[in-house]
Amino acid sequence: MLVSINWLKDYIDFDLSPEELSDKLNLTGTAVESIKHLGQDLGNVWVGIILDIKPHPNADKLSLTTVRIDRPEPLEIVCGAKNIKVGDKVPVATIGAHLPNGMEIKPAKIRGVTSYGMLCSKAELGMGADHGGIYILPDDIEVGVPLTKALLLDDTVIELEVTPNRPDCLSMIGVAREVGAITERKLRRPSVDLAESSEEASAVAVVEIIDPDLCPRYSARVIRDVKIGPSPTWMQQRLEKAGMRPINNIVDITNYVMLETGQPLHAFDFNTLHGGRIVVRRAKNREHLETLDGVVRELDESMLVIADADRPVALAGIMGGGDTEVSDKTADILLESAYFNPSSIMRTSRSLGLLSEASARFEKGTDPNGTVYAADRAAAFMAEFAGGSVDEGVIDVYPKTIEPRQVPLRTDRVNAILGTDISLDEIKNILRRLELEVEVIDGTTEMWVLAPTFRPDLEREIDLIEEIARIYGYNNIRSTLPESSGKQGGLNLRQKLAESVKGRLVGAGLSEVLTYSLMDPNDIDKLQVPKGDPFRWFVRLLNPLNEELSVLRTTLLANLIKVLKYNVNREQYDVQIFEVGHTFWQESGKDMPDEEAMLGIALTGAWEQDEWYEKARSADFFDLKGAVESVLDELDISNWSVRQFTHPALHPGRSAELLIGEESVGYFGELHPNVQADFDIPRTYVAELNFNKLIDNASIQKEFSEIPKYPGIILDIAVLADDSVSNDQVLEVIKAAGKPLLKSVRLFDLYKGKGVPEDKKSMAYSMVFRATDRTLTDEEALDSRDKIVNRLSKELGAEIRA
Amino acid sequence: MVTRVDLENTYEKAKAAVAAATSLQQLDQVRVEYLGKRGKITSVLKTLGRLTPEERKEIGQVANKVRQNLEGDIKEKQEELSSEEVIKRLAAESVDITLPGREHVYGRRHLISQVIKEITDIFLGLGYKVAEGPEVELDYYNFKALNTPADHPARSLQDTFYIRKAGAHPADNDIVLRTHTSPVQIRVMKSQKPPVYIIAPGRAFRRDVPDPTHSPMFHQVEGLAVDKGITFGDLKGTLEEFSRQMFGRESQVRVVARESFEAGIAEGGQQIRLRPHFFPFTEPSAEVDVRCFACGGVGCRICGSGWLEILGAGMVDPNVLIEVGYNPEEVSGFAFGMGVERIAMLLYGVPDIRMFFENDLRFVKQF
Repeated sequence: MLVSINWLKDYIDFDLSPEELSDKLNLTGTAVESIKHLGQDLGNVWVGIILDIKPHPNADKLSLTTVRIDRPEPLEIVCGAKNIKVGDKVPVATIGAHLPNGMEIKPAKIRGVTSYGMLCSKAELGMGADHGGIYILPDDIEVGVPLTKALLLDDTVIELEVTPNRPDCLSMIGVAREVGAITERKLRRPSVDLAESSEEASAVAVVEIIDPDLCPRYSARVIRDVKIGPSPTWMQQRLEKAGMRPINNIVDITNYVMLETGQPLHAFDFNTLHGGRIVVRRAKNREHLETLDGVVRELDESMLVIADADRPVALAGIMGGGDTEVSDKTADILLESAYFNPSSIMRTSRSLGLLSEASARFEKGTDPNGTVYAADRAAAFMAEFAGGSVDEGVIDVYPKTIEPRQVPLRTDRVNAILGTDISLDEIKNILRRLELEVEVIDGTTEMWVLAPTFRPDLEREIDLIEEIARIYGYNNIRSTLPESSGKQGGLNLRQKLAESVKGRLVGAGLSEVLTYSLMDPNDIDKLQVPKGDPFRWFVRLLNPLNEELSVLRTTLLANLIKVLKYNVNREQYDVQIFEVGHTFWQESGKDMPDEEAMLGIALTGAWEQDEWYEKARSADFFDLKGAVESVLDELDISNWSVRQFTHPALHPGRSAELLIGEESVGYFGELHPNVQADFDIPRTYVAELNFNKLIDNASIQKEFSEIPKYPGIILDIAVLADDSVSNDQVLEVIKAAGKPLLKSVRLFDLYKGKGVPEDKKSMAYSMVFRATDRTLTDEEALDSRDKIVNRLSKELGAEIRA
Repeated sequence: MVTRVDLENTYEKAKAAVAAATSLQQLDQVRVEYLGKRGKITSVLKTLGRLTPEERKEIGQVANKVRQNLEGDIKEKQEELSSEEVIKRLAAESVDITLPGREHVYGRRHLISQVIKEITDIFLGLGYKVAEGPEVELDYYNFKALNTPADHPARSLQDTFYIRKAGAHPADNDIVLRTHTSPVQIRVMKSQKPPVYIIAPGRAFRRDVPDPTHSPMFHQVEGLAVDKGITFGDLKGTLEEFSRQMFGRESQVRVVARESFEAGIAEGGQQIRLRPHFFPFTEPSAEVDVRCFACGGVGCRICGSGWLEILGAGMVDPNVLIEVGYNPEEVSGFAFGMGVERIAMLLYGVPDIRMFFENDLRFVKQF
């Protein structure tokens, strides 16, 4: 809502500067988005009249104008615009003007002809984006006066952000009422002095409401013999400042009164209404109406229309129809001032994608008891500025009067909610400043408050408490902290564990990324995911922004791969990242999608950089596994194992499924070369683990165990085994055979190559033997080793080099 | 038969050899030559038995003295030489201390996670717990239970992502990507009795085309306190305490400008400013500005007015309390919500919200 300060002063006196007023409005709930001082930088801009237009001697596209301002000699000005004619009044910037767009006017030779100024467009004057040509000023304007004076630009316009609960502030009177409440001054409502003719409106026009639930009130006036022409300059200027375009006197008056009162009005050309009838009814399905914007719209029965005896003539509360529009030939007017059901207007406006100044007000709720005042005010203007004659009487169909609401209010409750100590008197004072009537219940501090119908937001006690709070001033309320009984803050165990896992991954060298919960379904194809795979159980958006963000992610992989690619494409070749986030899937037959927190990891490029003390090394499967193991270690999970894992997205020889106990908690491995090629990324390692299951399996019970009292004996063996024998198999045998003296065993070397047959490998293990009750002898340890050696050779066919 | 003079001559030679030794090894050779088992002085001592008692006494005394003297000389020389050797070794072992250390490379938490942690830590200290909820929500939790009318514009297909339900008419869609973390409030209140003191950090979604200040996904921290006698003053006090900790000198947030925030307050200014506003689920409601931590409130390029809008807040609407089965006559509450990206952008001068989700490692690793 754009509010001219000068206009506002018609209704309320205040001596605040626009900035001071804005501060106060901001702090009482009407946000001021901008303050615009008009007429700045318009020195040396005058109203001129074009006396002559000649072609420019040296340029086809330019013309040479002769313009008179207040000086004895007219000015010669070169002009490129085509929308001017002799006799037009135009803004003339003379030598020395500095225009709002930064332009400085100096005498200039344009293609050999000296130009002594410039005829200005609206854009050049900082008055809007109208590049349509020179700004043609209203005819009744005085030539030779400064433009700021002629256009009443010695004014400031503030832009208000009106919240949806305050439709009353979509009017000058409503804003003035707010200002009155803030400044404790009385609002001046313009009185209407309406002279009616002896013709009775009801004798020529009939209004019928078929659907009173959608239109509880319809008031109309008939004004005859109007002369269509421009509205007075002051009215045009006020409309312009409010952001509306002046059209003609009748339309301008309806808009002006809407801006003033908040009541949208519509003027029909009365003689185009068949049967002199107004019928307010639901549209019929597939009924058509051409609205004022020239669009033919198909209607349905959820929409309310204004019809005449035969056809719809307006989309109720939103836009009038083309057939009954006021035109130059219009003589008689039927003026509509109605109250429509807000949600009905909102629904229709949304479903047609059609917004108007009227619908913006109706859909938030206008004052059902303000229709007649607005109609009278507009009719009086039409008499004054269009020479119309107003028929006697308002046709007013209002089957069921909407009464102001009685809302109870308790002083104690006010103070209990706000934490204040506001007295009954102060409360009464604040409410009365807002034009709310207060009736205190005798002998109590409780009251009934009458909420006027222009305040549809005031329904409950809490609504009134808010009014008191904002006028009292939020910043005058004393700050306290809750006096709580027994609140204990803190993360719960799962949250603590989740944080520590993320910290551990950061410690392991991985950086956290955050990617959209949405993904591109095509990426699942790139992952070579077969039909029916859970990665394809997409949760689809009904209204996605685009294909790339059209489904919820079923896996973290795709988005992690894209982050990796984004970095590699920007010369960040070494990428070690993780994300903890939800994945989503839709099981058929279920209404609600499922979601689960997952941990995703992606690695590519160098794990170790070239350093002066070591050579660079690329990340590989075991760096990935190391990261996974660090998570398991952080959570003290020891009963985990891996097994071969097959997934089309992964390298079959380099991927593993992680099990905790018997339960699968995810997988990790190298991306399949085809997938790498499809995404156009280098060799990449990924993991995706169920984060919740990891946390579920965290072991949080720890107990002291004795530190060994007796020395141990360390013995190493080298196991020469077939390639197919796994480390886990060897360990299993060693551990079983080494009982009870073997305390730990660790692989410390793995070798293939010279000295080892082609299909074999040499694995070296370091074993610690120890007894808990005595110092072990060498013989005992060697005995135990021999048992291990025997079992290894028997069970795995391994050859042992001690 | 050795004479006293012989011994003294031997000692002089030995003494000269000790002095000439340049290493511990040479010195040891000298020791062996004179004092070893077959050393020149040792052998004199060994022959003493063959002498007369008088001779024995005289030569013995001299020989012993010579031995003692020589031992002393050797010891002294030994000390001298070994300290020289240590010095040499130390010199040989010295390193270029300006070579880079062998450092384990760490990753980084995402800036958004860091800011969430900072916010969370403050509220944990104020007695709050952390609550979480699903990102896919029922309309009921996201809108209806939060007192949002059926025709509220936020519910439109323009503003909210809806989940497509197989076979359902578009109008029957009642599953959304949560547009705020406020539905967590409802879930928590429905699952427990007051008092409730929680914050709910998490992802939220709005149907905004990405641009420098909009993102279809962003993070919010929602807060809720419901208890007997909670007041609007408590809301103010809580947010003041939060802003002092978040933007003041004790904040872990690594920004350079917080001194001016402190200075602005030290001069008697308010840390925060509340402006009345409208939200469906709170009443009275407020938009909350924090004193600009870049300029301390005098007005600058970042804030314009000296204030930065970072929060929406208000007293929980009685309709919401009734919806979850609480009695608004018995308990009251406040709620607030803040956008994490916006705070991070303001604090660190991040120019474009999309950078948070591009995850350029040169961005991620800056913080």
